Amino acid sequence: MQQVNPTSGKINLDPDNAEHGLAQLVLTVIELLRQIVERHAIRRVEGGTLSDVEIENLGEALMNLEEKMEELKEIFGLDAEDLNIDLGPLGSLL
Amino acid sequence: MGDLIYLYGLIPTEETTEQSFPSFKGFDGEREIYTLSFGSTTAIVCQLNAEEYSEENIKEKINDDMEWLQEKAFHHHETVVAFSKMYTVVPLKFCTIYKNEESLMNTVQTNQDKLNSAFSLLAGNEEWNLKIYCDDSLLKDQVSKSNPAIEEKRAQISELPKGRQFFEKKKLDKLIDSELEEEKTRISEKIHFQLKEFVLQGNVKRNWSKDVTGKDENMTWNSVYLIPKSDVEPFLEKIQQYEKDMKETGWQFAASGPWPAYHFSSFS
Repeated sequence: MQQVNPTSGKINLDPDNAEHGLAQLVLTVIELLRQIVERHAIRRVEGGTLSDVEIENLGEALMNLEEKMEELKEIFGLDAEDLNIDLGPLGSLL
Repeated sequence: MGDLIYLYGLIPTEETTEQSFPSFKGFDGEREIYTLSFGSTTAIVCQLNAEEYSEENIKEKINDDMEWLQEKAFHHHETVVAFSKMYTVVPLKFCTIYKNEESLMNTVQTNQDKLNSAFSLLAGNEEWNLKIYCDDSLLKDQVSKSNPAIEEKRAQISELPKGRQFFEKKKLDKLIDSELEEEKTRISEKIHFQLKEFVLQGNVKRNWSKDVTGKDENMTWNSVYLIPKSDVEPFLEKIQQYEKDMKETGWQFAASGPWPAYHFSSFS
């Protein structure tokens, strides 16, 4: 599958190739949310307020989510850099 | 209103008598570049139309006209490089413009002592730049394999339940990343220190991002050196040796120069 605007950190919304640009945009948002959830979970685990069973369940769920994300990136021909969009003076998204 | 004075650089007056001054077109592409002598310092300048090159017009061009900016920045750079090959030049930043000869003369005279020490520092020496790049994935492998604490931690993690493994692996990844950064800095600093044997002065600059370098590898070191001309060759040979010895472990070295000595002359 054709790679969408590799490593440029920009979303490609070319009219002839809109579905790729859209996939990149959607996956960027999902990846951002996934990383926020993951960081929050790590903080909670380190905080010591979760039981062993809760940690185990949370860890497995996040692991599955990470694997799913890798699959989706592969399907749409994207890599980690493509989802790390450039926010200009604010730096990179992820 | 009289013409403005565009200043490219400053040179010791005594060097102007040793050879004839070359003929170059100035910043507007029409008028010639010439010299103005103020005692022991001579300025390399050209005249500019005061209206066309007013502060406002130049700001507007710099912000809105990329083609103009590219052409003029290239002209400035090429001109300063050409003069640096002939004289000891204190280079000036792009678009250093004075209202008239008098204001330039005042600035030169006020800074005469500073200029004299800059000339004696720069004479017979060259500015070179070194950029070091590193393939993080290759070095990460080595860092992770050569560190017994990380290996032990990895073995412990493999015995944990799956869910717990996820969190421990994330923690370990973070540890490896910070070890990697430390290792990169340690190696680069060591090289910088060893290169100081050949140089008069060395300054560390900020690393450039991949967007600027266009390379896949991260820049881990960016430094400038002032080197006596006779030591440039051994300096470059030493860098070639690093490149040869460290290539397989993901390191790349890019030395460039000689550059106008912007980093070792603070006149502005």
